[in-house]
Amino acid sequence: MWESLNLKDVVALARDPYPSIRQWARDTGKKVVGSTIADVPEEVIYAFDLLPVTILGTHKPLKKAPSHLPDNACSLARSNLELALSYEGDLFSGFVLPQVCDTTQHLSDIWRINFPDKYVESYLAPRQADRPSARYWVKEEIERLIASLSAWTGKSLTNDALNASILIHNENKRLLAELYEIKKKNPGTITNLQFFAMMKLSLQVDKAEFNKSLKSIKDGLKLKKGKGYTDVILVGITCDPPEIFDIFDELKLNIVGDTLVDGTRYLRGAPSLNGDLIDALADRHFHRGFFSPIHDDVFKNFEEVKKLYKETKAKAIIYVHIEFCESQEYDLPDLKNLIKKEGIPMHVLDTEYQTTSLSHVLTRAQAFFESLKGGSL
Amino acid sequence: MNDKLTSKQLSKKITDEYMEDAFHAHDNGKLIGYTTAISPVEIFVAHDIVPIYPENHAVANLTAKKGVELCSVVEGMGYTNHLCAYARSDLGYRKTGVTVTRGIPDADLFLACNAQCFTLTKWFQVLARQGGQPVFVFDTPEHVMNKKAREEIVKYCVLQLKELIAFLEEKTKKKFDYDRLKEVMKYSAASSILYKEFLDMAQYKPSPISIFDALIGMAIAVYRRGTQECVDYYQTLVNEIQAKVDQGIGVLPKDQEKYRLYWENLPVWFKFSDHAKMLGSYGGVILTSLYVHAWSFEFDLNKDPLVTLAENYVNRFSNSTIEDRADMATDLFKKYSMNGMIMFMNRSCKAVSFAVPTLKDILTKRTGIPALVFESDMGDQRFYAESQVRTRIEAYFETLDRLGLAQKTAAA
Repeated sequence: MWESLNLKDVVALARDPYPSIRQWARDTGKKVVGSTIADVPEEVIYAFDLLPVTILGTHKPLKKAPSHLPDNACSLARSNLELALSYEGDLFSGFVLPQVCDTTQHLSDIWRINFPDKYVESYLAPRQADRPSARYWVKEEIERLIASLSAWTGKSLTNDALNASILIHNENKRLLAELYEIKKKNPGTITNLQFFAMMKLSLQVDKAEFNKSLKSIKDGLKLKKGKGYTDVILVGITCDPPEIFDIFDELKLNIVGDTLVDGTRYLRGAPSLNGDLIDALADRHFHRGFFSPIHDDVFKNFEEVKKLYKETKAKAIIYVHIEFCESQEYDLPDLKNLIKKEGIPMHVLDTEYQTTSLSHVLTRAQAFFESLKGGSL
Repeated sequence: MNDKLTSKQLSKKITDEYMEDAFHAHDNGKLIGYTTAISPVEIFVAHDIVPIYPENHAVANLTAKKGVELCSVVEGMGYTNHLCAYARSDLGYRKTGVTVTRGIPDADLFLACNAQCFTLTKWFQVLARQGGQPVFVFDTPEHVMNKKAREEIVKYCVLQLKELIAFLEEKTKKKFDYDRLKEVMKYSAASSILYKEFLDMAQYKPSPISIFDALIGMAIAVYRRGTQECVDYYQTLVNEIQAKVDQGIGVLPKDQEKYRLYWENLPVWFKFSDHAKMLGSYGGVILTSLYVHAWSFEFDLNKDPLVTLAENYVNRFSNSTIEDRADMATDLFKKYSMNGMIMFMNRSCKAVSFAVPTLKDILTKRTGIPALVFESDMGDQRFYAESQVRTRIEAYFETLDRLGLAQKTAAA
């Protein structure tokens, strides 16, 4: 199903992967388990011979979600709920839902109440990350998830199965990281839209199959440096709709680094295969970089962003703000001031899931980068 | 001495002394710890850290209708207008110094417990960045409906309480006294029992208290629990309300108490007295909410203090599943014989409000009582539509009348 895709196929599938997932589930007889961002250990779900799918919203209209979540709720949370309630709910046999902020605090309750016949489990990630108890808790939660999946599927998790799963996931991250390096140095080879489509699809389809496509795409690339690109880094949690990447491509912006949960933060999460695997999965939680809802130090985030900016020699930072994401909104004013004081050009891009009108994004981004080129910032 | 004071006088005396102590904390060798209204403050009290609750200070300003003035300042600093009005008004106070009280002393450290919400953690982080003080996050995972998971959550929380104690020992250079904690727990346990007794007096007909009395009465439980004076205050309050019960005195006279109402969420602070009057004119009295019960702890003094603290702080309504929250509310409906419910969608409080539509569905189905749902903000008047709320309240009581839900004891 996903073994021999080219870049064009990937972009199309990333927009709507669900028909192919549905077909795949029918063909293989395997169950599909949805989760939302962030940090659910998908390797564990996969090791139970289930397909973990990260739900990243729908672009179809909101019909049912608004009666469960008001309009000041995070648009990603509403969009995910809509996807499950109106469009793709039948595809999923179960859900593992993380709780990381006030919006997600009761989401798993809402999903459980609305899907009484499905398996719904919470993944309670720690909302502090600097003390020994946080690591203890991550490990407890991973073990609780294993016990819960085991009770649901009637299977035990073997070390071999988990090892094999981690290998596949790590291979996916390695291939994506290699493709990212190629894209950064040769923006004429892979567009932003294409690269982030590969990232997104990796979170949603069978990686054992998709890794074959990634390898073949990589092997088949004809390197093109391209001309007139401006290197930028992307900071935030996620970036949607995908047409935003089209805008970046149109403006010849080359994303050379990011802190997105469905970007580099995913790539950084390759657990070690040496030693205890549960320990390794727990350890990686703390190596993934800043994530507004669980980390407490914007200064660290600033240092991380500054380092990335310098290392990549980018010309500017684009901060992607998802409307009604409170965690971001408490951090952003200070982060913005710190970045401004450092003299780093920064553009804040306000977006939300379900947005169809992006003309303001294009106009504002155009104005920012024109002034950047003019040296007036 | 205190026996001669009324609960109102006693509350004022306790509050004045508490604030005086807070403003002179450094003179007396004590540190100021900002903390969340739901947090294991007993640890602070046992270690002579003076707890300060920016939420309480925010309530004073929002009740006095300072919300728009303070929040607007903060929005000019880049914060969006849909963040919590407590946080926005507090950040506005930091910027302008505007307050209807004498203000609150600055923090030496922060303790954020997310059993209440995660917003407070983020708000405290903003304050800590301004002043460079440390923040300790007491992370309370949702109290999920799984016995084994609950045991693990308590273990995780006990581990964190030990980390909190080590953190405080380091900041104060003073050894933590576990015997003192046991003593503090006795006061907390005793005052919690009395506080609950006070709230539960709303079950009498007519009810001698409304939620507005409960909201005033809960203040001491929030900021002075763990002290003898807190116990004394609630004993005085319970005695006073019991005297009203004995004389049959209600918020409304018995023949006028038609609707005994449940309120979901925090109050609309700047409409506090208006709502009481408006509802009263329809024969309605709001008796209770899960919010005021959030400080009805059930500490088990036979357990390790850290265990009973952890158990109590993780199972607050705001950290419980929607199903458990519905059970808690249903118990209140039965106990207090309520026949109406007002479900407030509070834009400021996402942690509580995002569960409200689902909770409303469950409660209306279980009780057969229709609900009045309205959206506004607890502190920002710009989100309050006066005529719309008034019309909806009027229509709601007409519906209840039509359904014949008025209490039989009330005059026709």
